[in-house]
Amino acid sequence: MKDKYVTLTINGRKTTRVVEDRTTLLTALREYGVTSLKRGCEEGECGACTVIMNGLPQKSCLILAREAEGAEILTVEGLVEKGRLHPIQQAFIDEGAIQCGYCTPGMVMTTYALLSKNPSPEEEEIREALSGNICRCTGYLSIIRAVKKSADILSGKAKGGEACEDY
Amino acid sequence: MKTIKTKTGIGKWMPRKYDLEKAEGTLQFADDLRFGPELLHAAVVRSSVAHGEILKIDYCEALKMPGVLKVIVGEDFPHHFGLYLKDRTPMAIGRTRYVGEPVALVVAETEEDAKEAVKKVKVTYKELEPVFDPVKAATTNSVLVHPDLHKYEHVDFITPQPNTNIANWFRIRKGDTEAAFKNAAHVFEETITCPQIAHSFIETFCSICKQDPGSGEITIWTSAQSAFTVRDIIAKGINYPLHKIRVIAPPIGGGFGGKAGMTVEALCLAAAMDEDLKGRPVKLFIPREEVLLSSWVRQGFVARIELAVDEDGLMQGIRNTFWFDTGISAEYGANPVRSAGYTSMGAYNIPNVWSDCYAVYTNKPFGGAYRGFGLPELMSALEVVVDIVAHKLKIDPVEFRKKNLLMKGQTTCTGMPMHDHALDKIIDKVAKSIDVLKEEPATRKGWKRGKGIALAIKAPAIPADASSSAIVKLNGDGTVEVLAATMDMGQGTYSAFAQIVSEELGIPYDWIKVYYPDTQSHPYDWQTVASRSCWSMGMAVKRAASELREKLLALFSEYWQTPVETISIEYGVVKCHKLGKSERIDERVQNGFKMPDGILKGGPIIGSGSFTPPDLIYPDPDTGQSPKSVVHFTLGAVGIDMEVDPGTGRIVINKVCAGYDVGKAITPINVKGQIEGGTVQGLSACLMEAMTYDEYGRLLTPDFTDYKIATIKDAPGEIDAFWEETPEEISPYGNRGVGEHSMIAPAPATNNALFRATGMRIHSYPLSRERVYKALKAKEKGETDFWEWPYALDLAYERAKKEW
Repeated sequence: MKDKYVTLTINGRKTTRVVEDRTTLLTALREYGVTSLKRGCEEGECGACTVIMNGLPQKSCLILAREAEGAEILTVEGLVEKGRLHPIQQAFIDEGAIQCGYCTPGMVMTTYALLSKNPSPEEEEIREALSGNICRCTGYLSIIRAVKKSADILSGKAKGGEACEDY
Repeated sequence: MKTIKTKTGIGKWMPRKYDLEKAEGTLQFADDLRFGPELLHAAVVRSSVAHGEILKIDYCEALKMPGVLKVIVGEDFPHHFGLYLKDRTPMAIGRTRYVGEPVALVVAETEEDAKEAVKKVKVTYKELEPVFDPVKAATTNSVLVHPDLHKYEHVDFITPQPNTNIANWFRIRKGDTEAAFKNAAHVFEETITCPQIAHSFIETFCSICKQDPGSGEITIWTSAQSAFTVRDIIAKGINYPLHKIRVIAPPIGGGFGGKAGMTVEALCLAAAMDEDLKGRPVKLFIPREEVLLSSWVRQGFVARIELAVDEDGLMQGIRNTFWFDTGISAEYGANPVRSAGYTSMGAYNIPNVWSDCYAVYTNKPFGGAYRGFGLPELMSALEVVVDIVAHKLKIDPVEFRKKNLLMKGQTTCTGMPMHDHALDKIIDKVAKSIDVLKEEPATRKGWKRGKGIALAIKAPAIPADASSSAIVKLNGDGTVEVLAATMDMGQGTYSAFAQIVSEELGIPYDWIKVYYPDTQSHPYDWQTVASRSCWSMGMAVKRAASELREKLLALFSEYWQTPVETISIEYGVVKCHKLGKSERIDERVQNGFKMPDGILKGGPIIGSGSFTPPDLIYPDPDTGQSPKSVVHFTLGAVGIDMEVDPGTGRIVINKVCAGYDVGKAITPINVKGQIEGGTVQGLSACLMEAMTYDEYGRLLTPDFTDYKIATIKDAPGEIDAFWEETPEEISPYGNRGVGEHSMIAPAPATNNALFRATGMRIHSYPLSRERVYKALKAKEKGETDFWEWPYALDLAYERAKKEW
């Protein structure tokens, strides 16, 4: 298969990658070194490869790398600024919303997309937005709490950084 | 005497270890490791028939494909592997036993090249008659899945039955069951079935193997729960010395038992040890569809339970027949059968018990460990039977359970006395939390609402000699490194170990690092299973940390010329209040202390600890009786408040209350996480999960579109999670496991709630929308019970059932 080139911006860095026609965005990004994106199903069911592409949450396993020509890609690695976690990442830690961590990057990015559009979502809206991201460990309730807390931190209503005790 | 002060010891709510790296996406799982251009890739050719003789494997065309180096078949790597029973080969040899079984391995320069070449391998089979129904397989033996069963090596606590499909038969014979049934005022008989289900961890399987051509040393990087058990099974399988096999287990993305023993390591090794490929690392990544098609599942389960109850509503006898559908291998699956047998009285005081538990071979993917290890299946049946009996006797389900509860000093079905626990208190709390006996109107128009309760009980079904060991190292700046070969697969064990070390050393949690397993650096641990790690490895870590503390205090005692008792470690600083001394831990813990007499003493300070259960005795093979068959039980209860839509069969869970007696919560954030996570996994199994096959044994649910698991929309509105702390005697801090237990009771509690809502008993899991709808339609015609056998196509089933 003939190699082609695709130029895209990954977490603020512009790069040109050599890809085949069949190469998915997921594979191209993982080969570049963005391994937070996981191969959970490679058919759009689990959400572990979710990225923000041009401002929208996308399952990178369902996009061909060449379709991403010129795109701006944001992944969970790109949320960390000068060694500081993004409030969403911090809220996930605080609320025990992470167990094995395999779904976490996708969950965080989907949450990022939700909160960019809707800064104070109702619980039903959170459930709707995250329904394409599967987590087998947590039972989801801690994730819902983390999304709510993320919204509170981002709007200045809460502070992050403390393990939550509500037992 | 313990002389430490810390704010980060056991029982504190701490941020979990490695959550930071997980949140920023930098934690590297097996698939994320990089090996450079030397890396080869393997892809698997799989059987298309459920049972067949392999006539020919033609891979000439595959070898001509770009990048392909080699095609390996079963005869090239003819080793048998297995934890309890060596009945497994990495690839089929001569005969294939299920659809999806590996028959050849293509090795190529890239993953794409390997996958393309797989399509070019042609396999011809002579099809044989398959058997899919465990009851038929066990009762007729018309098709033998393993005719060579008598030749396989096995451990002495399992009992395969040669020339049958029974890979293990575990028995309980306690008291005089016959008399108990003869004299009983009421006798009940019920059957319940559970299908095979899939673990559905989000990380699939991935192994990378490499053999050094000169030394022959093997390195395996793999997504495994139990690095040392992988090493043991491989070493015994290929007859190789342990010190020449190194297993590195990077973080894993969920296990739930599905990565407990050996998974795809031997298959990958078949390529890495090939004479033509040796020296280059070989990677085997199993995509989702192939995981569902060909790997560990929770065993299918058919239970017949008879219960004898006296005039006072006390249980006098139980007779159980459990058929576990273990697919084509019982190498691990032989043991959940034993586990269920050990607890076949449930959480009840039943003086007379007769149980026959069978692991049955069928032509399906192999059954093995799954969170709960036989108990979710057993309790999904038994707790429904108990509810049926309570209803028929017109006793309320809470009272009936409480009056029959297995209390301290009463014996389990293996004759072992029960230890102290707070289950009666837990039942009261659960009943109150959801107001279980109060009938309430549905909150959704046209729906029906019901509430149900079920109990959970489980013991670790570990071999009597399952051991753990740990090393704790003190660095020259007071920080600490812990080597404990438990896998933290999300349950949060490393946070627990760090809190234990903090508790023992008085050193802050943040200064403590726990490393992922590597058999080269870590001391031995048996497995990360059975909810045993905080208990068994916890004991080893505690012992190692306290040994280290004693060594450190002894040195300071001589250095300061003061008795050990006067020295304390407070928030990482060593102090003697009597002398007014206070010093930080520094290089002296590496290089030695210059004592008052001018001589250097000490040197690097290391603590080590190990633990083996001190008093387990294997049950008698004929009766299942033993003074101490298991180390302890964790008990609990779950209450469910749910609603069902009769128009669609859809069930929505309003609220769950779940409580367990954990002895002591070392890391409360994880106890809560395990209860919430296990509850939803249990509800998912109850409402939607089943491995479904067609009449040829082909899987109809090979992806997450068809194999449905709970999404965030299916999670209940509320989970009221709580725990009690009745301390365990032999335990680091009185703690008992809770990781698996949370999965046991949500399903039967939901089933019992469905009955309260609709008056209909469904005897086959899952309670899928389609099934509930059909059951409610049957109800309209006057039916009260609804069965859907997983093998309805198999007409012989009904006959076999009657012959039990």
